[in-house]
Amino acid sequence: MPTVTSWTDPLADTRSLVRFRTSTVRNPRRLRVFALVLGSITLAAMVVPAFLPGAAEYQSGYAFQFFIALPAIYTGFLLLAAMSSIASGGGRELVPHDEAVAWPVSPVVDHLGALLMAPLNIAWLLQAWTLLGATAYVVGPGPLFFAECLAVLWLLVATAVAQVLSWAMEAVRRGPHGVWVARGLGAVLAVAGAALVATGHVSAVLDRLPTVKLISVQAGLTQGLSWAWPIAVVVLLGALAAAVLLGIPPARLALSRPSHDQARLETGAYQARRNPGSDLVAMMRIDRSSVWRAVSLRRGVLFLALAPGLIALSGDLEWRMLTILPGLVASGAALLFGVNAWCLDGRGALWRDSLPADPSTTFAARTLVLLELLLVSSAITLLLAALRAGRPEPAELAALLCTWVVVSLQVVSLSMRWSVRKPFAVDLRSPRATPAPPLSMVGYSARLAVSTTFTGLLFSGLAQVGEWRASVLLAIPLAIFAVVRLLRVRHVWLEPVERSRVIATVAA
Amino acid sequence: MSESSRLDAAAASVTLAEGVGIPMVDVRALHVRFGTVDAVLGVDLQAHAGQATALLGRNGAGKSTTMRVLAGVIPPTGGVVRVAGHDVRTDLMAAKRSLGYCPDVGGLVPRATPWEHLQLSARLRRMAPGWETRGRDLLERFELGDVAHRITAGFSHGMGRRMSVVLAAFHEPEVLLLDEPFDGVDPLGVEATQEVIADARARGACVLVSTHLRDLAVEACTTAMVLRGGAQLAVLSAQELVGEDGARAYRHLLD
Repeated sequence: MPTVTSWTDPLADTRSLVRFRTSTVRNPRRLRVFALVLGSITLAAMVVPAFLPGAAEYQSGYAFQFFIALPAIYTGFLLLAAMSSIASGGGRELVPHDEAVAWPVSPVVDHLGALLMAPLNIAWLLQAWTLLGATAYVVGPGPLFFAECLAVLWLLVATAVAQVLSWAMEAVRRGPHGVWVARGLGAVLAVAGAALVATGHVSAVLDRLPTVKLISVQAGLTQGLSWAWPIAVVVLLGALAAAVLLGIPPARLALSRPSHDQARLETGAYQARRNPGSDLVAMMRIDRSSVWRAVSLRRGVLFLALAPGLIALSGDLEWRMLTILPGLVASGAALLFGVNAWCLDGRGALWRDSLPADPSTTFAARTLVLLELLLVSSAITLLLAALRAGRPEPAELAALLCTWVVVSLQVVSLSMRWSVRKPFAVDLRSPRATPAPPLSMVGYSARLAVSTTFTGLLFSGLAQVGEWRASVLLAIPLAIFAVVRLLRVRHVWLEPVERSRVIATVAA
Repeated sequence: MSESSRLDAAAASVTLAEGVGIPMVDVRALHVRFGTVDAVLGVDLQAHAGQATALLGRNGAGKSTTMRVLAGVIPPTGGVVRVAGHDVRTDLMAAKRSLGYCPDVGGLVPRATPWEHLQLSARLRRMAPGWETRGRDLLERFELGDVAHRITAGFSHGMGRRMSVVLAAFHEPEVLLLDEPFDGVDPLGVEATQEVIADARARGACVLVSTHLRDLAVEACTTAMVLRGGAQLAVLSAQELVGEDGARAYRHLLD
């Protein structure tokens, strides 16, 4: 059958894949609710802070602090977007690799799909809402529309630039000696960052960030609209177009090369360990292997453990502000596989379920592996962040430790509930794989963000009370509530009909 | 033991088992429903020790669902299912201990090695020390010894099928359930699988093989049950499905 091609084909193909993706949503009404919720939060982040007391008073007070921090927040968004995209091996896939093999999906379509998928990520959303909210608070209600236009354009430019960087890094990683080159680059950047912090040059670098110019244009809007604004819009639009186009060549190069990381994990020999001493140990061992031998999970966990901690380290955060970090890290780690925890077994789920094992032990093993992953990754983040935070007050330390435990339990409880209620057949083999379809990931991200941020802020407030017992008193009922909900999920899992539904779905 | 002597022993076991008359697999009026879809509608099946039974039928006939019910992975909606005398509703763990199952899809944890699969199985089945020799032997027989410590995600489809058969037969179960064990497997792998089936029959195990490959089913099994639309259509001796006449008869049943 004859086919025709034109330069607009990638756009049409991307549109078709988006339609295919949205058509496979199990509950379209939920899709509309999610879109409404996300849109409402974004709108609220763009508008509400402008009407808060102290907004636009950026010559003093909190608005001034935000004004000073804005260039770093804008640059931080770019860095986080780039790191997130690099960690996921070139950004998320619009259609999973194993499903897309049936169609001629070009690297350009893959690139455009990854750009569309970038915002469906809790780190991206939280950073974007913070950036939009901080901008609104600094400029106030007067020039809000014009300032937020620039902020939104920056979000798009930063996302596109991050995508270029991630494709370039992936092309390097998949090239000759790529893994070592990538590690070397990572080490150089880490050493450079550490040197900046150690020598006290962080502030000097922050003052010279290119985003300072953008912030000055936004701040200038409080004096009235000038030519600077349309010029900034044109520059940002040009940068956006350029970044989208610049991403194509490295995407082509990266996708034409096999993944060394994946090949190494799949062809390497793993030393046999001693026979396990109990059923629980045997199952946890297999589950842990399933996590650490998946490229996407390994990279994701390392990224989540290190990146927020390093950023907090360079930002010199106070102890009471650290309570926001465990939720961020735990949510991100859960979004790597926890929200669809049974997919770790893949098609081996049928065989595993045919073994004479107590289903409650299977549930306990999966839950404990997820919990330990969340606790360890957020502990690394907190240790890094605490390095420059000085000596904590007992109340601050108690608040942080309570947040760490409570948030981890909350995330595990939610994740296991979703895993049982809404399982998906997912192959986590690809470095770019996600445990659920994109729209479900948005829902999970939003729910986790709201839940963990609220908890973090609650304990942040208690850190200022000056009484460490207050945090413990709040933590106990919250932890019990999370455990009770987890036990309810376990009860559902123990039902043979429900369990078989989960097993049959993930093994499909 | 040679191939012919194994089959002779198996035939002897069949006679013996049929004489005893206690089926190792006893399915009566099996009904499985997924939501509004009836996957299995009233299947009856009795298979005895030392006997190999083929489950044949078109896609969607209910073969794999029946196998999954027998393996204890899917609970039956209706009917009675006993495996080695254990009711899968009331005594599921005992039923699972007595069977070995090779699922129709995958059947392997993607990021675990074959040896780790064997370790898990040995642990959960409470296998006695020394199981390692049996494990190594099976891996060698299926030409998987070289990849015993590599993760199965990198396996070809045929390697995965062979490994699934190894796992099903590893603990010498009383009931061996093989769902599409020959699918995509090379001739040497097919031969090794046939040997496993013959060995199982020879030691008095009951074997159920679900497959689309009539020739191989006839070669491996003594009896064949044909399913259509989730229901049992016919029970034949394997001899009735041999050759051109058997092919015609089978096709007639499927149409």
